[in-house]
Order: sequence, then C-alpha cells, then structure tokens
Amino acid sequence: MRELDAVVALLVRDLRAFLRSRSQLYSSVVFPLMLLAILGTGVSDGLDPKNIRDYITFLTPGMIVMTALFSSTFSSASYYQDRDSGMLNVLLASPHPQRVVLLGKTLSAVAIGTTQALFVLAVAAVIPPINFEWQYGVAGSLVLSVFAIIVLNFFLSGLGQLLASRIRSMQGFHLVMNLVLFPFLFFSGAFFPLTDLPFWLKVLGRINPLSYGVDMLHLALYADGSSGYFGLPADVAVLTLLAAAVFYAGTSRTVRPDA
Amino acid sequence: MNLSSTVPALLPATPRDAFAVDVRGLTYRYHDRVALDGLTLGVPAGSIFGLLGPNGSGKSTLLGVLIGRRTADSGEVRVLGEPLSDRLRDRVAIVFQEPSLDPMMTVRETMALQARMFALPRREGERETALLLDRVGLSDRADSAASTLSGGMKRRLELARALLTRPRLILLDEPTLALDPESRQRLWQHLAEANDGGCTLLVATNDVHEAERYCQTVALLADGRLVAQGAPADLKRDLRHDAVRIEWKRDAPAGEFPIERWDGVGRVRRAGRFAHATVDDASAFLARLFREHGEGVHGVQIEESTLEDVYFQLVGRGIAPHADGAYP
Repeated sequence: MRELDAVVALLVRDLRAFLRSRSQLYSSVVFPLMLLAILGTGVSDGLDPKNIRDYITFLTPGMIVMTALFSSTFSSASYYQDRDSGMLNVLLASPHPQRVVLLGKTLSAVAIGTTQALFVLAVAAVIPPINFEWQYGVAGSLVLSVFAIIVLNFFLSGLGQLLASRIRSMQGFHLVMNLVLFPFLFFSGAFFPLTDLPFWLKVLGRINPLSYGVDMLHLALYADGSSGYFGLPADVAVLTLLAAAVFYAGTSRTVRPDA
Repeated sequence: MNLSSTVPALLPATPRDAFAVDVRGLTYRYHDRVALDGLTLGVPAGSIFGLLGPNGSGKSTLLGVLIGRRTADSGEVRVLGEPLSDRLRDRVAIVFQEPSLDPMMTVRETMALQARMFALPRREGERETALLLDRVGLSDRADSAASTLSGGMKRRLELARALLTRPRLILLDEPTLALDPESRQRLWQHLAEANDGGCTLLVATNDVHEAERYCQTVALLADGRLVAQGAPADLKRDLRHDAVRIEWKRDAPAGEFPIERWDGVGRVRRAGRFAHATVDDASAFLARLFREHGEGVHGVQIEESTLEDVYFQLVGRGIAPHADGAYP
C-alpha cells in the first residue's frame, strides 16, 4: 500500500510537470496532425500510392503510433532531468526499493504517451477527410485501439528505461532514440503497407515491434486489404509479450550510484 | 599523540546500540581505486558528528553506503542498531552536497512529495510542512517554484524536507557549501535545533572551522581510512604544535624569510604579507624570528591551532583546497 502510494505520488508529479510544460504538450500533438495534413493530402493527391484506397486514413494509425513513440520516449528522458537536478537521489533515498521509483517514473511515461496518442485519435476521428472503418464496430474498434496504444506505450516506456540504464547523457539518449526508433517507425507499415516492401524490408518489418502496434491499429481503424498483415492474434500476442518483458526489464534495472 | 589506539578502543567498549552509525572494516572500491579502506568508526546516538577530510577522502562514499546507494565490498554496517534495509530509511534523511530540488516544483509540492514518499498521513504532512516552512523562514515562499529561491533558501528547503519525516539520523554532505556566512549560521541554528530534539547529525565537511564550532565529535579521514576521532578540543590538546601568525612589513616570498627550513617548524602557509606557521615551541620560534628577521616583522600573534593543523600533523597534507597553498 505504501509502495502504491509512492508510485501514485510520482505519477501525479510527472503528470503535473507535463501539463506545465506547454511546449511539450502542444508540439507532441500538433506535429503528428501536421504530418497527417501534409503527407496525408500531399502524398494522396500527388503520388497516388497503389494498393491504398484512402491514404490519409491509412496514415492515421501510423501517426498515432508516432505520437506514442515521441511522447513516451520524451517522457522517459525525464529520468535524466531528475538525475541532473538531484531529485533522483532524493527519490532513491526514500524507504522504497529502486523498482518502486522506476515504476512510478515509467508509468508516468505510459500515461503521458497514452493520453497524447488518444488525443490524436480523437482529433483524427472528427477530421472530415479521415474515414475510420471501425471494423469491429465503434466500441470494439475503440477498445482495440486503446488497448494497442496502452500496450505500445508500456513497450516504449520500458524501452526508454532500458536505454537510460545504458546511456549516460540525455543527448546520447535522444541520439540513440533517433537512430533506432526512426527506422523502426519507417519500416513498421506506418507510412506504407508492408506488403509493398521488398523481401529484406519485410523481414525488418516482421522483427519490428512497432509493426504489430501499427497493424493492430490498422485493423481497428482502417481495415482493407492492406491491413491485417500479421493478423489480430499475432499482433496482440507479440506486442503484449514484448511490452510485458521490456517493461519488467526496464523497471527492474539497477540505477548505478554514479549514473 | 597516540591516536591509533583511540578509535579501536572506543568501539568495543561502547554498547553497539549507543551508536547511531556503527561501521566496521568497511571497504568500498571504485574499480581499482579504494575509496573506503577498512573504515571503522562509531557515531554516538544523539550527537553532532563531523566527518572531516579533503575531497576524495571517502566522506561522500560513506554517506552513499549508509543511505543504501552504494553496496560495500566488505565490512559491517549498522544504522540505528539495524543492518541496512529499505525500511530503515524511514528513520534516516539525507541532505546531498549538490542541490537536489526539482526546479519546476513549488516549495509546498516539494514537501508534499516527500510526505507521500514516506507515507505520512496527509493532514500530518500538511501540518508539519507549515511548521517547518515557518521555522526555516520559507512560509511566504510556499507557492514559489524551487528555481526562484536563492541558494540559502534552497538549502533551508532541503533541510526542511529532511526534517519532515522526523528522522532519527540526518546525513549531511557539505551542507553549507557555497552559502554566505549568514545563511550558514541560520542553517547551523536549524541543525542544532534538530539535534536538541534527539536527532543524530552526521556531517561530512572539509570546513575545519564549522567542524570545530558545531561538532561534538570529529572523525578525521584520509584516503578512506580513519586517522583520528575525538572531540575537537581533545584532538587539538594532543597536538604538539603551536600556531603563529606573522605579519611582514611587505610581501614576503619564501626565499627571503625561509622559516620553513628551521628545526621545530611544521607547515607554513603564506599569503602576501601574512604567514601562518605551526611550530613545536612558539617562544623559541619567536626568539629566533626576531633575532634573524626582526627587521621584516610587522607583528606576530600566537593563534589557537585548528583541526586543520591536527590533520596536517597526522596526514602530512591539508584538508581544505587552499590548505597547502595560501593562508587566507
């Protein structure tokens, strides 16, 4: 109970800091919507991608995943802010095991990433050119979308913690995030269907955890011949198992005394 | 003085529960560097205890071990009579050497987070927060962000945060570093009040004057080892040196008045027209000084020796960064 209270206290603290940081709040939501407007209309009108019936709607799940990606990894970087301000030492000097502190911080990243991704989903749902299919009915598709977003954020926040345990500086953290996660995003089916890719990129797409999140959202929101690349059971199983494993590893890591 | 026998004799003779901190044979290594080298010391419960030594002598490492952030390679540690554990930190607080506040959080939020992390009931936390902020003079800044506070205010907030959970032991790492004299005095006043309430204070410092003035017992550390432990007055009583302050008529380079080379002269620190020398016998030294260099001397003063002098005699080097160079 004491530990739960500590986790909630850390969660509230990070959420409050997030709400106070207006630039983070707005930019993380405006950027994907801007991409959606530019890429969605531009590519759709100018390049006429084959095998995609409605590109802007196809793109929306990818933008939701991108929002989660940016937001939860950015929130994971608050670990460095706490370290540099000395707050991490204070929190670790409390009568709780390290994993309680890491759990509180990681859950904050999950909550922030999930909220922002859901916000993009909500805004996208009312933009006229975007026509969600709601393949499982509105309620069923929404439940599946929310599930996909939450699980994806658990995975990404856990990954952020794991990387933070290996990388000493925030600059290095962002560099690695860009180097690793941008390719992951590009080859996840967020911008173009995996079916259209050459074999070696299909292999990359298959071992890419983000692909399963994008696929799940495509199934829920887009649903045509270019979605459902892996199938719902595979999406749910792979993403849930990966998220559980990475989240556990991220929150169980040891914070080095001189980290 | 026979300091090597002072400390080991102290520990077995004293019941272990009389110590707030009881450390025996503690060793901690940073890779190939030994930070704590078989350290043994006992901090009497209810005391203000100073850990005195230069940077790198092992003070902060010891505090890190006591708060559970570092795991010793060997040795035994008991805090408040118990082996180290997460729950033990319910009764232990720490004020770190570096600032440790979230700049975006307000003073009140900082205290509230501490209260929740230590599972203080909400109303008790709020009541104690109000009392402590009043005590440290921050009531009117309760809703200010920590980033807007002065250095002294930040330190007082950190102290208030440490006191919020009513700890039995507070570890303080260079608590007055970079504070102005007034802020230092205020901080020590608050610390003394906490000690009056029965709280043990373990203060790591390289400020000899503060250690002498405020600590009942001082442990001198060098290279992760205990060099001596005792009350400041006792440690100085055993010192064989007198201390003499010389004011020359003008800037005096060492070559012109080479008193360092004289028999019976220990350490000499110089700064411009001033020199501070530890000597075996002040009378004999002054007689020779006036005989050989009387024309250059503007004035002399026999000073009280300091723990810095004790440390130098035992270790062969000074504590503070300036200790081996200029005399302030």
